[in-house]
Amino acid sequence: MAAEIELVGSFAEEEECIHAVEALRRSGVEFRVFSPIPSEPLIHAIGRGLSPVRMFVLLGGISGVLTGIAVTVGTSWEWNLIVGGKPVVSWPPFIIIMFELMILFGGLSAALSFFFFARLPQLEPIPGYSERFGADRFGIAVECDEADSARIEAMMREAGAEKIAHEDPRPESAEH
Amino acid sequence: MTSQPQASREASRRPIAPQVVPGKADVCVSIPIVVVCSILTLIGVAGFIAGVMTETEPHAWEAFLCNFLFFFGVAQGGVVISAAFYLTQARWGGPGAYRLAESFYFFLPIAFVLFWVLFFGRAELWPWVTKPVAKNPTWLNTPFFFAREGFALLAMILLDFWFIRVSQRVDVRQWALSNDNIMMPPTAIRRLAPAVAITYAVVMSLIAFDLIMSLAPAWKSTLFGAFFFAGAFWSGIVAMALTAVILRGRLGAENLFTRDSVMHDLGKFTFAFSVFWAYTLFAQYIVIWYGDIPNETFFLVVRGALIGGPAGYTLYTPWMIPTWIVPVLVWVIPFTVLMGVKPKKTPAILGGVAFLGLIGMWLERYVLVVPSIEPRHIPFNWIEATITLGFLGIFGLCAIPGMKLTIAAAAAPQVLEAAER
Repeated sequence: MAAEIELVGSFAEEEECIHAVEALRRSGVEFRVFSPIPSEPLIHAIGRGLSPVRMFVLLGGISGVLTGIAVTVGTSWEWNLIVGGKPVVSWPPFIIIMFELMILFGGLSAALSFFFFARLPQLEPIPGYSERFGADRFGIAVECDEADSARIEAMMREAGAEKIAHEDPRPESAEH
Repeated sequence: MTSQPQASREASRRPIAPQVVPGKADVCVSIPIVVVCSILTLIGVAGFIAGVMTETEPHAWEAFLCNFLFFFGVAQGGVVISAAFYLTQARWGGPGAYRLAESFYFFLPIAFVLFWVLFFGRAELWPWVTKPVAKNPTWLNTPFFFAREGFALLAMILLDFWFIRVSQRVDVRQWALSNDNIMMPPTAIRRLAPAVAITYAVVMSLIAFDLIMSLAPAWKSTLFGAFFFAGAFWSGIVAMALTAVILRGRLGAENLFTRDSVMHDLGKFTFAFSVFWAYTLFAQYIVIWYGDIPNETFFLVVRGALIGGPAGYTLYTPWMIPTWIVPVLVWVIPFTVLMGVKPKKTPAILGGVAFLGLIGMWLERYVLVVPSIEPRHIPFNWIEATITLGFLGIFGLCAIPGMKLTIAAAAAPQVLEAAER
């Protein structure tokens, strides 16, 4: 069902925003939150679990170690020469290559998966965003029907919303 | 101020910081501990005397030297950890964390006295005492050796005591308590903390070069001093973690160490500096391994640590087993076990890792000292055991005053409130 109206509540305090988020979650309303600061309690209130980025860092690290083994041991076998009285496959210096490729691959996959899961780059503003949400206000945007709007507005006001704007939801976001 | 309405509002909501600061309070020390430590000390003294009198090999002196290095390292490492807290303005545990790091400071003057016992065993320990090294007789000779070590230890310990006096001052403790502002630590401690850290690096390097490296005068490693003091720093951290785990159960329901966050911090410390120890170890190892120069590699060959030497095989020596147990206890176990959050917060696991870590550090000192004198067999017997117990006893007795302060600070309500945030 297409949303008819978009309510954007703005909050001066982190705690008020958290109260609103908790109230909205209790009544099962879908919403978007804007925060001017990275706020851990807020993330907690939204109920996001642990970031999936960490899994990608682990996978990147493991693939880095495997690449390190492949590069060092593989090239040594390919060019089977004894140098400096050391065995052809001599682990002490290989550990360094493995370690550094682990960090490189892990770091790169951290950066890439962060951009992916943070949905960056975001070239157009997300519906409901206003510039103050990047400066000194917290914001919550809810898309709902006319019928629900009064109830949701009351919920946000009770939590301490300063101001609640009514906006038209944009066509592409109407699928939510 | 107006740019941070959140912070100022929160500050005004809180009660004004309490003026009474936890510190010197009368804490009863249980009599059994004192008795046990005294008995251990007596056993150690008896074992040392018997060892010196009866044995033809220098067992007693070797055991004395490596125990001196280990226990001095723990006590001195603890003081430097406290200095590192001030340098990084670590106020996470309130004054409790500082007292915990400084718990063993009273052993330091005793260590200075114990150091002079080594004077009588010099001919048994250091080969250059009887056979001067042709290359540098001006550096390695008995008068200059004991003069510079004595001076370095004295300077270090006096500085430590000055530092700890200031660290226990009311204004400094007050600073550690109030962690809701970005105030700098009081000036005196701000000047002393880096002085302690720098002196530590210099003095511990000197001790490592002179007391350990000159046991095998042909061997040189520039990084050895840093390796030694990184290990001593880490042994201080694991001693803190173990003490915290023990006190957690003993102090009653509510104390600083029942806080998950404090356990978590200690776990992170143990994890991080174990990696640093492994880093300095590997940084030395790789250079010696790569260069393959006989007067560098012999130090590793004797200890069975050189893998993939000439022709790819490793020579067997009895020292191999203790040598390879050390990195397992000091790095492999802390690294793998303490990787997650849960094990760091579980006292039994953190305490177990810390206990194994202390054994590992003791073994590291043993492996650094003894094979230089007795390369062919491991001479461990009752003499080593009794001397180690004796050192443990003295260390335990010396820890009592510091432990009283730790207990008083850890159970104080203001510290608990400060650690809440």
